[in-house]
Amino acid sequence: MSERRVLFEHILEPGTGKGIELLKGQILRIEQVEGGQCADFNCFNLHDYKEFMHCGRTRTVHGFHPSKGTFMWSAPPRERAMLYILEDTVGRNDVLFPRCSAYVYEASYGFAVHTNCHDIQAEAQREYGLTPDDVHDSFNLFMCTGVDQDGHAYMTRQTTKAGDYVDLLALMDVLAVPNICGADVMRTSNFALKPLKLTVFAATEADLARVPKTPTLKSQRTPKDFRNPTIKSDRPLRRDPAYKPEFPNTPIRITELPVALSEEELAAFNAVKRTDIYGEDDAAALRDLLFSWWEERFLQAHAGAPSIESE
Amino acid sequence: MADTVIKLRLNQQQLELMDRTIANGVAPDRAALVRLALREYAAARKAETKAKPNDLEPVR
Repeated sequence: MSERRVLFEHILEPGTGKGIELLKGQILRIEQVEGGQCADFNCFNLHDYKEFMHCGRTRTVHGFHPSKGTFMWSAPPRERAMLYILEDTVGRNDVLFPRCSAYVYEASYGFAVHTNCHDIQAEAQREYGLTPDDVHDSFNLFMCTGVDQDGHAYMTRQTTKAGDYVDLLALMDVLAVPNICGADVMRTSNFALKPLKLTVFAATEADLARVPKTPTLKSQRTPKDFRNPTIKSDRPLRRDPAYKPEFPNTPIRITELPVALSEEELAAFNAVKRTDIYGEDDAAALRDLLFSWWEERFLQAHAGAPSIESE
Repeated sequence: MADTVIKLRLNQQQLELMDRTIANGVAPDRAALVRLALREYAAARKAETKAKPNDLEPVR
């Protein structure tokens, strides 16, 4: 196997972030220097910043803790795999928590100014002409989180050590923006701010061969498919008097489908129908049964997530 | 005893999914597809009930 070639190295100092042009086929390694440091992360299509990483989609597809062998997806309507997590020596990352912000430190701790992930991201992204409004939901590397029995997200201290790392392989040209999480008065990074090492490698053929195939679908639309492909350049919202709605598949039309059930089939239906939800509405209960069955028999991926061919 | 008729209310998207499933040879028509779903769904729940008497939810 050929060796990875190092293209770029950078020490990300506490309180800072760095925009990195990570081209397709390159790997960004985010590595612990001392251990115990969370990195927040944003990612944009380098050639169209309106396509950016979508934590919501990513958590639906891969769960709350994306790790080795999972993708980072862009937001609808693009919904493309932007990055692949090629290696992860810890296996505890987070897409539950938002980035910390100045508001948090002022409201909860009384700081007039404090390092925070939103403002660090915004300052790093400014190098590429983006504004504070362009910072998006964060992929939180090495952040140890969970959900309690009441449904609340929580964070705990992390156990990462010097040398632990996550390797992100770019599947398209991206602007990757990691930052040192600004939280030193929370558990996120064990109550201290520490540096992280960034390394960009050229992926080897063996690296690339490890990426599972993802589907290419008509629904993955780009600006050439948009009814309005022009990025709005001013701030106020004004109604377009020429606007005519073109919602797909509307109007929604209802058709009645009579289904005759034998005595035996009716008994089977009565045994399983969801009266707890539908009461006496047998038509709704049978419709539920039909599509529940369809999901069980034909749906390949959890929660409607894109299907991914396994390695 | 005569058959019991249940009238499902389905929109065009739901019917499209059913028709594509039928086109794949799963059932000869829409009503037959619903009956097949009922038989298989009920059979799966019956099997689950034997294993887990208090849980009728499908295992995902």
